[in-house]
Amino acid sequence: MRLRRITLQHFRNIAFAELAFTGGQQFFVGANGQGKTNLLEAAGFVSALRSFRTADTRVLIAHGQPEAAVACDFEHERFGATRLVIKLRPGGKEVWCDGEKITRLGDYLGRFPTVVFSSQDQQLVRGSPGLRRRWLDFTLAAMDGGYLQALQAYHRALTGRNALLKRGAPGGELEAFERPLAAAAAELQAGREAGVTGLAAHVAAAYARIAGEAEKAGVRLVPDVTAENAVAWSGLFAKNRGRDQQWRTTVAGPHRDDLIFTLEERPARDFGSEGQQRSLVLALRLAQVSFFRERSGVEPLLLADDVLGELDPGRRRRFWSSLGSERQVIATGTSLPDAELGAWEVFAVTGGSFQKTGGGPTADHAVTTGPHEF
Amino acid sequence: MTPAFERLQQHLKQLPGVGFRSAERIALHLLVEKPAKLATLVQALEEAARSVRRCTRCGNLAEGDRCAICADERRDHRIVCVVEHVPDLVALERSGAYRGGYHVLHGKLSPIHGVGPGDLNLAPLLQRVQAGEVRELILALSNDVEGEATCHYLTQHLPPDGAVKVTRIGFGLPSGGGVLYADSVTLKSALDARREYS
Ligand SMILES: [Zn+2]
Repeated sequence: MRLRRITLQHFRNIAFAELAFTGGQQFFVGANGQGKTNLLEAAGFVSALRSFRTADTRVLIAHGQPEAAVACDFEHERFGATRLVIKLRPGGKEVWCDGEKITRLGDYLGRFPTVVFSSQDQQLVRGSPGLRRRWLDFTLAAMDGGYLQALQAYHRALTGRNALLKRGAPGGELEAFERPLAAAAAELQAGREAGVTGLAAHVAAAYARIAGEAEKAGVRLVPDVTAENAVAWSGLFAKNRGRDQQWRTTVAGPHRDDLIFTLEERPARDFGSEGQQRSLVLALRLAQVSFFRERSGVEPLLLADDVLGELDPGRRRRFWSSLGSERQVIATGTSLPDAELGAWEVFAVTGGSFQKTGGGPTADHAVTTGPHEF
Repeated sequence: MTPAFERLQQHLKQLPGVGFRSAERIALHLLVEKPAKLATLVQALEEAARSVRRCTRCGNLAEGDRCAICADERRDHRIVCVVEHVPDLVALERSGAYRGGYHVLHGKLSPIHGVGPGDLNLAPLLQRVQAGEVRELILALSNDVEGEATCHYLTQHLPPDGAVKVTRIGFGLPSGGGVLYADSVTLKSALDARREYS
């Protein structure tokens, strides 16, 4: 899919902006804190109706405003010209697709895939298991409403059981919540296992493209505990009940699963060089791109937040050529990208406003400012 | 406006589905436009508050001891459909597909919101089961984590001899959703397709 126009109102520090894009490469240049990443955040919001930076929708709404709005016009492989309007209010969010209100997230997910490349991504290899779990959950849930449902049910049942444990509730009440917990755990782990197997091939292929080296990259699920099916999960939670009551929390379960990224079957975290780890992190994002395309039949929109500058020239070139020209890339940086990376439409960002400074045919009417009705 | 008017508006605003504007409109309507209706409304409210209570058997709304459904001899009261709230019962009745009795729990287990078994209308149901009055329980609780936990809690407290057949409706119900949001056709098929619960 291609993003042809994006309109923002009261989104973080952006009071109003309407940007029309002509080609497949847009670059937003400016000092830190001016609003470059805010624009990427808005574009990335369309995938799963959440921000890649925060779980709290309220911080996306400009201070003192009742709501924020994002409108996107896409050229879409499956739906043709499509207009998406998202309104964010402190109490929740509303989405319209071509004037039709979306009521079920499950029907919506997977239609507008985006992949964010961020300088925080290094943490995927080196950081805590929670980051890797979130990466996996986000990747799978974005394409599979059933997985999302299992994930949400699991966390709801877990929160319930933990609240009971905290309160010292009797075993019967705990057992009542172990049943939906077990059903969701079985579904979640089956989804993760199948998902990781599917993703591993994409990771290996992407790593080979970027690193240009001989090692084979891989990814494995490291479950905290495993059980055969829902009945076995029930038995497991029942068996752990005594210890959980002591700790006043559910100690073991899929909420403690981890992923391990490997190079030649060895953990990249311990055995990978700095450069190999950088390549691996890019490969994880590229794997998301090809995984999303395979599952949805839609070419994802790539959002690169201040990452190009961090790569050495060779890796940057290979990364770039591996993206291919058919995909749209919207990137940010504090300085302009090298000319060798193709023709960019360039927008300068200062204090939440945008000025088109180069590339594309008409610099004048591409940027407008003023009041706007969504 | 006056302080008394604002107090009234505050109270109206807390009613379900009433926002600030509607509360203002209702308050103005009651006080300014139709003062004649006010006395009868107040009277109706007081009377309803006095006489409407929970049916001692099933928890439905009743005037007196038993509700209209429990008093209806033509219904098969050995079959009991367990629901969370009175509006769920109303929705199932509207589907016209069901001729048994009900039991209203007035909630579901929800540790996050501090709702435990003691907060639910469970005891009268378990008494009816123990007295051998119940042949089948149809669990029509919402199709989510809390609904499922409540079903399981309830079945744990049934006699283990299998004398009570337990079924669960859920087919056709939007998952994560309750009985109230399903239309009559969906509810009828959900009742027809109820399955054995274990
Ligand atoms: Zn009754």
